[in-house]
Amino acid sequence: MSRKPKSEQEQIANAVEQARTNAGLSRQELADQVGVHYQTIGYIERGEYSPSLVLALNTAAAPKQDVEDLFWIDED
Amino acid sequence: MNSELTVIAIILAALAFNYLLLYPKIAGDDVKKMATYDAILSLVVFGIVALIFMGSDEVFNLFWIETNWVIYTIAVGVAIEFPLFFYYIKARGLGAKYLEMTFGTKGSWYGEANPKSVQKQLNDTKWDGLRTPSAKKFLVIATNLVILFGTVFLIQVDESPWASYSIIHVILILSFWFLLRQSVRLVADAPDQALDERLIADRNQSYLYAYRWLAALSSLSAIGLLIFAITSDVQNETTAEFYYNLEISWPQIQAAFWLIFAYTNMLPSMVLAWKQSKRRVVLH
Repeated sequence: MSRKPKSEQEQIANAVEQARTNAGLSRQELADQVGVHYQTIGYIERGEYSPSLVLALNTAAAPKQDVEDLFWIDED
Repeated sequence: MNSELTVIAIILAALAFNYLLLYPKIAGDDVKKMATYDAILSLVVFGIVALIFMGSDEVFNLFWIETNWVIYTIAVGVAIEFPLFFYYIKARGLGAKYLEMTFGTKGSWYGEANPKSVQKQLNDTKWDGLRTPSAKKFLVIATNLVILFGTVFLIQVDESPWASYSIIHVILILSFWFLLRQSVRLVADAPDQALDERLIADRNQSYLYAYRWLAALSSLSAIGLLIFAITSDVQNETTAEFYYNLEISWPQIQAAFWLIFAYTNMLPSMVLAWKQSKRRVVLH
């Protein structure tokens, strides 16, 4: 089984921005908690970067959410 | 006194001044001061030797090799100072300090950026004017134009007075290298510990494409050289042996050196800057 080209891979949708604002966190604060650059949070929120499992779990843990509530495969 | 001994005497006098007075009395354990004094005194030695021998056809015997005053001064200066330098550093316990100053962290000697400087750059806003998509695009195009124009120009002008453009060429290359690195926040040259996973992925991808471009450019140059040699042989009917004649002047050597230096060092930053310039940010 061969890998799909990147353009055909499933897109990861997320609700990071909503969870972050609900928790009253700025991008910088969330970035500091999960140990990434603040721009990376922006990339994730805009769906321009799909985080690794570890980063996804850490990102969900910061606003006390379950990872499956924050990230899912976009079927559209 | 013959020429070789004159140069050796000047070097020894300078070293005595450095190691008996400047280093122990003034620099102390400050390795930065030591390096500065060393650089200044090396220039002074070179200047004095140049005043005496520049323009002369004096031949200097370096063991079995005949050379000129420039090569002789550098070679003998290095050969005499190296053991003295290591002995001095060891005797005063400055080895670790000197290594840290020279190489910074592991890897910095081959162009890898220091983690601290990358961290600073990632949060820096001073150079934001260079980080807009159009500025990045301009920088990449301008850098390539500077490199290629300088290379072609130096090859064409050969040994004429225009060859002094090489100084401007070098300054321009180093300036654009600096600006490119600022525009991509040193990410292309940064070690893993200074980056997060997205930035590491960006850096790694830029190296993949940079390597492909470098392979393409190197292959094209090698093919060009091969075609030149074969064409020269075909056109020459005077000898039965394989014939080619490649004469290369000093400005042309400089052109080739700076072309290779520029692309091998700058391509990852160029690729990253170009990739980032294509990115469209949607503001919510």
